[in-house]
Amino acid sequence: MGGAVAKAVVDGVLTGGVYALMAAGLTLIFGVMDIINIAQGILVVLGAYLSYVLSQDLGIGLFLGLLITIPSLFVIGVAVEWAFMRRLQERERTALSILVTYGVAIVIEGILELIFGPNYVQLRAWYVNQSFHVLGFYLPYIYVFGFALAVFLLGVLYLILYRSRFGRSVRASLQDRAAARLVGVNVERVSTITFGIGIAVTAAGGMVFGATNAFNANSGYDLISRLLTIVILGGLGSIGGALGAAVFMTVIEGLVAVLWSPVWATLVFYAALVLVLVIKPVGIFGQRAARAQ
Amino acid sequence: MEEPWQQERRARGAWAAGVAALLAIAIAFPWVFTNPTTTSIGVFTLIYMAAATAWNSFAGYSGYIPLGHAVFFGSGAYTLVIAAQDLHIRGGYTVFALVPLAGAVAVAVAVPFGLVALRTRRHTFVVITIAIFFIFQLMAFNLGITQGSSGIPAPTPTWPAATFNDRFYYVALAILVVAAAFSWGIRRSRFGLQLLAIRDDEDRALSLGVRVSRVKLTAFALSALPVGMVGAVWAYFIGQVYPQFAFDPLFDISVALMAFLGGLGTVSGPLLGALILEPLQQYFTLQFSSNALYLVVYGALFLVVILLLPRGIIPTVRDRVASWRERRSGSTALASGPDAAGGVLSSEMAGGGVAGAAGGGAVSPPGPSGPAVRRG
Amino acid sequence: MAVCLGGLMLAACGKGSSAGSSASSTPASKAATGSQSSVASKKPVVIGASLSLSGDFSADGQAFQRGYELWADYVNHHGGLLGHPVKLDILSDASSPTQAVTNYEKLISSNHVALTFGPFSSLLTIPTSKVAARYGYAFVEGAGGAPDVFAAGLHNLFDVATPVANYMLPFAKWVASLPPGKRPKTAAYPTSNDPFTEPVINKAKSLLQKAGVRTVYYKVFPAEVTDFTPIADQVATTGAQMVVLGSVDVPTVSAFMQAFEQQHYNPKVFIASAGPDQGQAFLKAVGTSNANGVMVPNGWYPGVRIAASEAMVKAYVAKYGGSPSGINADVAEAFSVGQVVAQAVKATHSLSNAKIISYLHSGVKLSSVEGPVKFDSKGENIAALQFIFQWQHNGHFVQVLPTKAPGSQPVLFPKPAWGS
Repeated sequence: MGGAVAKAVVDGVLTGGVYALMAAGLTLIFGVMDIINIAQGILVVLGAYLSYVLSQDLGIGLFLGLLITIPSLFVIGVAVEWAFMRRLQERERTALSILVTYGVAIVIEGILELIFGPNYVQLRAWYVNQSFHVLGFYLPYIYVFGFALAVFLLGVLYLILYRSRFGRSVRASLQDRAAARLVGVNVERVSTITFGIGIAVTAAGGMVFGATNAFNANSGYDLISRLLTIVILGGLGSIGGALGAAVFMTVIEGLVAVLWSPVWATLVFYAALVLVLVIKPVGIFGQRAARAQ
Repeated sequence: MEEPWQQERRARGAWAAGVAALLAIAIAFPWVFTNPTTTSIGVFTLIYMAAATAWNSFAGYSGYIPLGHAVFFGSGAYTLVIAAQDLHIRGGYTVFALVPLAGAVAVAVAVPFGLVALRTRRHTFVVITIAIFFIFQLMAFNLGITQGSSGIPAPTPTWPAATFNDRFYYVALAILVVAAAFSWGIRRSRFGLQLLAIRDDEDRALSLGVRVSRVKLTAFALSALPVGMVGAVWAYFIGQVYPQFAFDPLFDISVALMAFLGGLGTVSGPLLGALILEPLQQYFTLQFSSNALYLVVYGALFLVVILLLPRGIIPTVRDRVASWRERRSGSTALASGPDAAGGVLSSEMAGGGVAGAAGGGAVSPPGPSGPAVRRG
Repeated sequence: MAVCLGGLMLAACGKGSSAGSSASSTPASKAATGSQSSVASKKPVVIGASLSLSGDFSADGQAFQRGYELWADYVNHHGGLLGHPVKLDILSDASSPTQAVTNYEKLISSNHVALTFGPFSSLLTIPTSKVAARYGYAFVEGAGGAPDVFAAGLHNLFDVATPVANYMLPFAKWVASLPPGKRPKTAAYPTSNDPFTEPVINKAKSLLQKAGVRTVYYKVFPAEVTDFTPIADQVATTGAQMVVLGSVDVPTVSAFMQAFEQQHYNPKVFIASAGPDQGQAFLKAVGTSNANGVMVPNGWYPGVRIAASEAMVKAYVAKYGGSPSGINADVAEAFSVGQVVAQAVKATHSLSNAKIISYLHSGVKLSSVEGPVKFDSKGENIAALQFIFQWQHNGHFVQVLPTKAPGSQPVLFPKPAWGS
């Protein structure tokens, strides 16, 4: 039993990395732009399909392919922001963003289903089904690589946010848009680029997601509610929060699945969110993290 | 030239006549369009109209966007089928007596739900309502009382096929009238103004003496009542309640969209929104959903409509009418700012304002909300 | 995927009745009209059905559509129904019960179809069969087999597929028949929270327990899990020699298989209730060599030695391409639905639903591409054959159980290691 518990914790940590990658972009967008991006789920799937096309049809390895998919999704992100988000008036931004991003999600889902059909696919590579043998545990390569990728990319995002001038503009916009404008930050441009970055990171999340799950165009729905939960739990705009919340959630889920029952695991996941929010409405790492440094 | 108060009284009279006419049409509808396909769509449309109106009577006026009202819908649905089963009620008119019970259960659920969720604001609120929604859906899957994934059947009435749907139609219509009356009543009342104050600036409202927590919770719980009742009607109509359909996340998105399309914060907006979208959705699915192209097309249309009418149809139309009248009569009477007296028409046009919120006080902060909403 | 929301501009589209097959551009609709000219120019008989051509059940829904259309082609080439050509009126419900209900209302009251076929999935079958019952229509279907479908007590409902609870009977029998030295001693039963899988797994578990196989894991997981790793890993930790997985779709099976491989856990026997029966769709998701040894119950497979089935397989490949082993079993279910209705029409010399219903309830034995069909008073097919299939030799879907049934090959036991 102890072994199973330890295993669940380890699994949870590794899976948390995957979710953090998928959620990182969302927390940035949410935090900086007040936009609830319901399309995040389908964008993960889009990233997965892009990696799929690159690896299946062009023989480009999954991690190498990221060099193409990440910039591609950046461009797509900027395009979506310019076409839709920027038209949203300040006032009803949050509420309207739900509907607009939902519309965008539907369009993307339709296009993906048209191109790829309803059948499930999965990304394949030698490291997808193999594992390390460490201390009596089998750690699948893909999860370890995915976790490492998550830490790396989140680290890069962190550096951008806290060690660059651009990052300072982003953080200023995150705290108070009007004030940021007053000190000369071009809030609109910062928003667009942030949106693009947020979507770009999702490409990496998509790749790891696609390697660890069989997916099709419908797979976005189950993801989005979890990603939203992680982002709120971690605190809007907090990169470290996204990683922390993701790991926290997946470990709890894994423990409950092992110790009690998988059906309650998901419920505990959401109940944990509710509990945390009641105690601390800004999320575990909310506000405080964005202002730090 | 007419005095403004005369114009307003005439407008009110016309409005009342309009409502009466619409109600008459709604009642006569199944007699004229007897095809069960049409009445079937009619039933679903009425259900969504009531749900959207109820949702809006909380969300539109308070500014909080809950995406968890499906909790009430599902609670109402399950209440009906479980009660019918436990009380051994056979298919027939008696089952409809359970509908108010379903509404009451929904309200009972709304209270703890609201107490937890309304402590948060804006995005956090949205996500917490989503999380609570999933908690309910998962409970429906896993608790013994809901019999899990195999669902619970509703009693099967033996009414003749040709008029089967009509009974559901009229019950749904009755619920809709109740929901619309609530929404309108809230709008005209001091309670409604308090909600609008919360929407504009909650902290300020609090400092002005509005009992914010109580007001929010009451509005939230009231909005659950019609939703629970239509959930019960839906369950009885469909004949079987499954967890994933009783607690369906797309229900929340649809209801929100309908309210937005029609005009958030107006009484007639959600009605119009649902009236347009629900039948359209059914025909659209019918015609086009056999391949994924339909997703692309409707998503694109959806986006176009949202972006063209960000405030919804009713406010946009009202603005057009108002500016047309303005041009015609050269009068600036109707274009003046939100009345401190809070007349129904003008404050609806403005989407409400903090003015008059604190019970008629002369406080009118020039928040960005007022002019922006009117001019759009 | 229930909600489809159009804009104002769509109001102009108005209502259309979709006479003939759905708007998808398969060659089917053209073929159907083409073959009608070969049948006597009597008025066509329109048969209506609502299918999930998009949304959660779309892979199966589309397979069903192909099955119905293949049947229509076949019937029209063989004299039609009582000489009338058959036309299909298939509406799409996007996997939503609300839409499905409206669809059958429309088919029956607006489009005035003569007969109805069922939709895909138990979830949609109950509400829609109630609609059909109101109008007295016979409701023959091939995909609504969960026990609660029959608990509703509808007289017009007939399911041609194997009753769900019996799915794993041959499998349990085979395990019990193995000599004690070879028989798996322990078993794990992870199952999805679904009206289809739970009865299957529970029945299998009780039979296997009786045969002396110890249950080391039995847990129900939610159908919408996105991450199976903790569950699959826990199963792997038990080291159970046999895994009986209650799954409804390919991704679930794929996730378990992947996790097992990552954990270097290779059970001697691995059977899943659904997923591996989806032909190419399954192989593509898990990888052909990984599929070797995986078993799945089903009522049909492409190689079954039934004349009508062989003809259907040929027609399928001719019309849709691909290879026989890539054919989704749903195609055969749908085809059987058509066959049963055709036989009832022929026997009663009428298209009257009332007569068809009483004929089907009369205990008569009918035939189909899936084998014999005989309905009990509840509408379950008690003559249905249950087979167990296994993927062998890199991409061959082979019937293995019952061992004595004609056409059964030896079971690949124990299951080869992953990827070999």
